[in-house]
Amino acid sequence: MKDLKHLLYFENLLQNANNELIEQAKAEGNICAAFTCENIPEPLLNIGNAFSVRLFAPNSGSLDIATYYMTSFLCETSRALLERAIEGGYNFADCLVAADGCTMMNRAAENMELLHTMDEGKSNFFYHFMEIPLKATEIGVDLMKLQVQNHILNPLHEHYGVDVSEEAIRKAVEEHNEVCRLIRELGEFRKEEDPRITGYEFAVFTLATYLAPKYLLIDKLRETLEEVKTREPDGKKWRARVVVVGSEVDDVAFIKLIEDTGTYVCADRYCFGSLPGRVPIEIDDNSEDDIITQICRHYTMKGQCPRMMNMEKVYGRKKYVNDIAKEYNADGVIYEQVKFCDPWAYERMLGSHMLREDYGFPVLSVDRPYNISSGAGQMRTRVQAFIESIEIKKLQGGVK
Amino acid sequence: MAYKTVKKITNPKKKKGDQTLGKLYPTNGKTKVFVRREWRGVKDTLYDYSRWLYIMSILARFIAKPRNIKAMFRYRWMANYLAVPYMMDKFTLGLRDEPLRITHTAMNFVIYDVAKTMDNIFKGDRRTGNDEEFSKTCVLTDENAMTAFMMGFKDTTAILREVPTMFVANLLTQNSTTHYLDVAQEFGLPGDVCPMPEAEAGISIDDDFAVLGCCAVQVNTTCDGSLMGNGVIAHRLEREYGIPTFQLSAPMRHREDDVQEYAARDMQEAVKFIEEHAHEKWSWKRYFESAARVNDATKHRAFWLETNSTDYPQFCGSVFSLYNDTNYMGNCGRSELFPPKDKKISKLVEQGYKKKTMMAPEYRHRCIVWGVQPQYNIHMLYWMIHCWGVLPLTDMLSMVNTLPIAEDDTPENREKAWYDMAWLNENMIMRNRTHGGYKVLVDELWEFCEIMNADMVMMWEHMSCKALDGLHGQFEEQGRERGIHVVWVCHDLCDPRVYTRQAIRDEFSQYMRTVLREEPLDPTIEHIPDENMW
Repeated sequence: MKDLKHLLYFENLLQNANNELIEQAKAEGNICAAFTCENIPEPLLNIGNAFSVRLFAPNSGSLDIATYYMTSFLCETSRALLERAIEGGYNFADCLVAADGCTMMNRAAENMELLHTMDEGKSNFFYHFMEIPLKATEIGVDLMKLQVQNHILNPLHEHYGVDVSEEAIRKAVEEHNEVCRLIRELGEFRKEEDPRITGYEFAVFTLATYLAPKYLLIDKLRETLEEVKTREPDGKKWRARVVVVGSEVDDVAFIKLIEDTGTYVCADRYCFGSLPGRVPIEIDDNSEDDIITQICRHYTMKGQCPRMMNMEKVYGRKKYVNDIAKEYNADGVIYEQVKFCDPWAYERMLGSHMLREDYGFPVLSVDRPYNISSGAGQMRTRVQAFIESIEIKKLQGGVK
Repeated sequence: MAYKTVKKITNPKKKKGDQTLGKLYPTNGKTKVFVRREWRGVKDTLYDYSRWLYIMSILARFIAKPRNIKAMFRYRWMANYLAVPYMMDKFTLGLRDEPLRITHTAMNFVIYDVAKTMDNIFKGDRRTGNDEEFSKTCVLTDENAMTAFMMGFKDTTAILREVPTMFVANLLTQNSTTHYLDVAQEFGLPGDVCPMPEAEAGISIDDDFAVLGCCAVQVNTTCDGSLMGNGVIAHRLEREYGIPTFQLSAPMRHREDDVQEYAARDMQEAVKFIEEHAHEKWSWKRYFESAARVNDATKHRAFWLETNSTDYPQFCGSVFSLYNDTNYMGNCGRSELFPPKDKKISKLVEQGYKKKTMMAPEYRHRCIVWGVQPQYNIHMLYWMIHCWGVLPLTDMLSMVNTLPIAEDDTPENREKAWYDMAWLNENMIMRNRTHGGYKVLVDELWEFCEIMNADMVMMWEHMSCKALDGLHGQFEEQGRERGIHVVWVCHDLCDPRVYTRQAIRDEFSQYMRTVLREEPLDPTIEHIPDENMW
């Protein structure tokens, strides 16, 4: 297929935590609200003159200092983030809103605070830690409301005078939803038999929307969508189509690696992916609930975080994977987990069994490094073997 | 900054009986128990032996029931219970006088309580006793669950199903969990998660839990692994055995005001769920009686800790932790049998303090034990006393709630009670430190060092405990800044294949020799051939 005009631009955005759009937004006098967890309602960090940036650590190499602080048993994502913070890689941030979600990311953020990694010389800087509901219930929605008020809206207003009015929130939701709609529309093309966007390209665009100010990305996303609409597929015969489920994929080379084996990544159900991360927030103007409640309900009810412990959610997560696998015509499911991530360790164990036994999908269950280059050979072998097993089943007419 | 020192205290009294303990260990590397009973002088040996017979009588009464014999053959983990008397010998090793009596009083009651739990389990178990009527009155709960949500139920029994199956079994014999860990890993769980919930998941996968109860209440207890393991267990309970489950959520940031309402409301939901399935109405009378007992237990624990802050601690070591665990969390004021035990222990503590009773010939260091203990080597705290004269003043698991809860039945207190129960639930053992931010795990440790005049922290570094590992560097740096010796002792909680008992002891001994340049008080136990012992 013809190269997408802005792909290289978006790829370059992923090369550095402090990308050029963050610098541009800061130069315009905006406030950078860094965050670490997809359960944190993102639009509320994009109100007024604030903009959100999700912390990530591209091209991570040595994690020695973070390993000293957190030992080698913590997940590489949390260590990579801490290492980058200690290196000064997040000095652009004006605050950090962390979630006491998964323990390891929480500890990474706590170490950032204790080591003063981002706040040196910034009198207004604040670290805040949010409690995230553990169950998708109305009680959880109420908790989320209180948390966003106390740990996002109040501190942003008090420290930086950010406009936290309903009007500002509505505007942020509109902008958020516009990004979601663009990403979802791009993602719809993945359902095609001969898709006109690769899973890798889609992963690049999606990830960038978490890492850069949205208002500076929208035009290029719109242009890309128009371009894809008229893009001619190259008629490539993919060997199989898979859904990738699991921990965050900050290194999109992982998706590329899968696709290099001839396997199309047709759907992404991982932390900071598009499903459900880029599902627009439905705001009902006639609802009795105010806009904050509606946002909080969206994040509490629609989230697919493995930490959600009520059984409706435990079963629901597997059904959700089954539903998107069917919707996107997947032949199989890859459950992946960043090494040492506890929530996804358990989720992929139960999920891989349920998807296989209850829903009849072939499943590959793997752990992987944060930076895939340190384990690319092994991963390629695993994926190739998985795809061959799917092909053999197809040839033999076995159960899907 | 110079390291803190504490005054050495020498015991003016010569210990009666065996002076060294190494002679009790078998040298052939095969025997599972001590080669003989410890000689503690006539009076203490007779006392110890009478208590040993009492434990045998508990076991005899338990095994006399046919359903329990049947369980012995059905459940793999039941074989570990042959080692109960030996477990007591490990916990009382080297003890005399009041500490010996305190340890027996506390631990014998824990044994009684576990035996009662097991008896109840097999009474209702569909595969053994199969008493359906009784089973309908049972609510299954987690191993590390605070049973506050049961405080207002009189006829409904809380069954902490994982306690005898996993938790206690690993105290008894060091290899009790290895089979279940293998099962979980064969099923697809990585080997790097905490082995405790992993073993529990393995037991469930292996279908080796007893099956009973009208419903189950699960709690996000200590860690992400524990939270996530619930899903595996609930999947089997609900789908295979038709036992409905409720997941009670305890907030992570449990010291924050803005999470308390959430916790209290979910507690109400849990109680409603139990009422619905157990067909018993919540009794406020019963609740406030239980609350009074919780407060009573808190007062006694505070007194023991206060005594341990002096030069002559009396109630120390693993049993201090295990008794608090059982009383505070498993019991949570529900049983009328605990307060007399608390009272008796307090009397002995006071008596020992007045007599300046010591557990070793010399106390060289005052130590706070922090982190999560290796279940298969929890008795090492006594070894520290006898081998190196290091006194474990308290441990992380015992540093739980100290606040009184409302115990008078008034309309206001009925409302407050939900918050109190939620508070207890949030502050269940271990999670009250491993969650709640670094303040409760790191900052408060140094405060306890100050209050209890400790110059040393023995840091159990449970390698798969991410919550603790995540602050490793902070402990190191802050310990150095404050002049507190932080002795790191690594282990893997309940998997001795990863870290053997001797490897754990060696880490401690290395610090004592190389950093503190000290020699052991009892060199015969510096290296113990207990690789194959229970």
